[in-house]
Amino acid sequence: MLIPVLFGVSLFIFFVMRVVPGDVAQTILGTDATPASLKQLRENFGLDLPLYQQYLNWMGGVLTGDFGESMRTGKAVLPDILNRFKLTFELTLIAAVISWIISIPLGIIAATKRNSKTDFSLRVVSLLGVSVPTFALATVLILILSLFFSYSPPVGYVGFFENPIKNLEIIILPAIVLGTSMAGAVMRMTRSSILEILRQDFIRTIRAKGAKEKVVIFQHALKNAMIPILTIIGLQIGTLLGGTVIIEQIFSLPGLGQLVLTAITQRDFVVVQGAVLFIAFIFVMINLLVDVLYSYLDPRISYK
Amino acid sequence: MYKKLMLPFLMILLLVFATACSDDKSSDSSGKDGKEGKSDAEQTLKIANDQEPAGLDPHKTPAHSSVRIYSKIYEGLVTFDENMELVGQLASDWEQPDDKTYVFNLVEGVKFHNGREMTADDVKYSFERIMDEKTASHISSYFADIKSIEVMDDNTIKFELEEPNATFLTNLTNSSAAVVAKEVVEENEDLQQVAVGTGPFVFEKWVPDNSVTLIKNKDYHVKDTPKLDRLEYYTMKEEAARLSAIRTGEIDMTTLTSKSAGLLEKDDNVEIKDYQSLEYSYVGFNTENKPFNDEKVRQALSLATDRESIAKVVWDGKAIITGPITPAMGDWAIDVKDEELYMRNIEEAKKLLADAGYPDGFSTTITTASTYADMVDTAQLLQQQWAEIGVKAEIKQIEWGEYIDTWSNKTADILIGRNGSGTDPDRAMNYFFSTEGSANVWNFSDKDYDKLVEEGKRTIDQDERKEIYDKAQKELLELSPNLFLVSPESYVAVRKDVKGYTPRAHNAEDIDQTYKE
Repeated sequence: MLIPVLFGVSLFIFFVMRVVPGDVAQTILGTDATPASLKQLRENFGLDLPLYQQYLNWMGGVLTGDFGESMRTGKAVLPDILNRFKLTFELTLIAAVISWIISIPLGIIAATKRNSKTDFSLRVVSLLGVSVPTFALATVLILILSLFFSYSPPVGYVGFFENPIKNLEIIILPAIVLGTSMAGAVMRMTRSSILEILRQDFIRTIRAKGAKEKVVIFQHALKNAMIPILTIIGLQIGTLLGGTVIIEQIFSLPGLGQLVLTAITQRDFVVVQGAVLFIAFIFVMINLLVDVLYSYLDPRISYK
Repeated sequence: MYKKLMLPFLMILLLVFATACSDDKSSDSSGKDGKEGKSDAEQTLKIANDQEPAGLDPHKTPAHSSVRIYSKIYEGLVTFDENMELVGQLASDWEQPDDKTYVFNLVEGVKFHNGREMTADDVKYSFERIMDEKTASHISSYFADIKSIEVMDDNTIKFELEEPNATFLTNLTNSSAAVVAKEVVEENEDLQQVAVGTGPFVFEKWVPDNSVTLIKNKDYHVKDTPKLDRLEYYTMKEEAARLSAIRTGEIDMTTLTSKSAGLLEKDDNVEIKDYQSLEYSYVGFNTENKPFNDEKVRQALSLATDRESIAKVVWDGKAIITGPITPAMGDWAIDVKDEELYMRNIEEAKKLLADAGYPDGFSTTITTASTYADMVDTAQLLQQQWAEIGVKAEIKQIEWGEYIDTWSNKTADILIGRNGSGTDPDRAMNYFFSTEGSANVWNFSDKDYDKLVEEGKRTIDQDERKEIYDKAQKELLELSPNLFLVSPESYVAVRKDVKGYTPRAHNAEDIDQTYKE
């Protein structure tokens, strides 16, 4: 599966970037450019070659681990992607943990107290989480913190290993925003999935045997309810790892999303192609991981 | 067995991560105190910009987000002082033996940031690099008139031009006409990632999509300059984030729109500085396409345009009505207040349209960039205003890359945008509107006008030159290939403890004498 998907993505993004109106040379040189300098720049980038040849040149590089160089900065693309990915990965991980801490316990509570006031209010809250867009939440959070608490996250990104405390201070706000918005969906899924399991015969049997409610929920119901929850989490994480464009922009984080966005606006084909291919790869890998976890949760599922 | 342990292990790991996060929140106040203490000892200025620099090569990068940074690292031969008078930068003085020859004496003992002394050979090399086609420099056309460059000795250099050119010296003030070191170019192939100049600040590092750090050049050839030890530029694309960061003092300086400037006015720790910019907004017509090939139609649209309400609605009243040369250019600009085509007159406009054969108006499309709110707002106002004379306009908003493409390929009938009128009238007049002008994307061609601006370029005497451009401006307004709308004010928000900073239209970020209290 991996190879045909990645091949398809590479072909797709390569041609989409060539069809999109906008010329990289003109974007770089701006309004002062002369036709001669524009032509020269296009030649420097190899954009004068036939399309199939440009594609082959690019793919040839990719297969040997050379994703090419950015047209804008002349930097090698792959190291830049990996560097940006570190931030995006960290942000996704922390956001996911925050979302699980909120959503799974609340989902369980809502399911066990079905149709009570608690359940009703939790459902409203989760609906809010799903429907409030992250950019609105992020902007409001920034405004409230700066206006009422005179706080704004530090500027100037540092890696986790350079200065873990400052790094986390920078990451925590965007992670909270992403985490809470992810939590809504996961919580709804946890609730409905557990409810469904609780209706099944084996739960009745266990209860009839006199098992405590705690044991029923945590040892039997939750594990069986995990499969749909995991599917949602896998999709969410895959999407986040592809770069959280808006959140990265609002919080000025140099992640994968910003890289792609800047590259698209500047028509930096090489960077866009490389990054999209990388994101596709990550997405496929996450799906693979989710599949493996399925068989852990439900030994009846096996892959041969 | 391993499989079973894996999940709990992962959960514990994630929990540890989460605890680390919550610990961190409580420690942020102490972290901040430490930072502020440091900035007292070391003079660091943090500036937030809305765009990421597009590269650092002065000869190849016109993007403003890059210019504001590399102009601190590199220097040219001459520059403008605060009154927009020419003064030497790397040149101590210069003379003009005849109209076509310029001899520059260089300041002695100027060193590049790598320690090597800068000589006339570097100046020659830099201009040859700009003019070399392979460099694909955006300013090669500025120096197309240069016939020869001769190094007379280490500190003297002679430029000979093909023809007298009144714009030569002002073109030299462009930050892109920078003197670079040959060995650095050769070592790195280009200068997009490295920067070794002679300017007041030395390039330290660039973290993409985040920050650029410069440090003080201790060997700078101007005494007691700069006052700051460090200059940190942060890319913060979101205006809400810039506003919040300047409120809390995370940054010291940032540019703002007029709308957010109002939001910060009440803040005691922030000062808003404004200046009249060199930019103006315009409506451009493709003068080859019907009905805009008829100047009567263009004039009718000018008469139907209410420029004052554009200034009021789009710019909160913080903009002035302008012709092709903006008022910030001082004497060069003509007073447009009493121009007939600037007085709104619906009856006259309808008459002109009828004369042109469109008694019931026509339908058309206004193209503009969705990236800039002011352009979209302007388009919407014009749509309403023009409807009064029967012109039904549809608005097409496109993304910036596509907009540049539309601009250069001349594929729109009506384009709304913003231009910089430059520091020499030649740019505003010749570059955008002469038949051969490299930014004349309007298919506009008028022989008399061409003659006038060519004469303006070749006339060295300033008074004579001004007369020529006055005439050319009047003619341009009459022919209306563009409708010139308004020139907005620009805003910089600065923390109160930042002293010695005055933004000016031609040098908005002059921080040579800036310091923090």
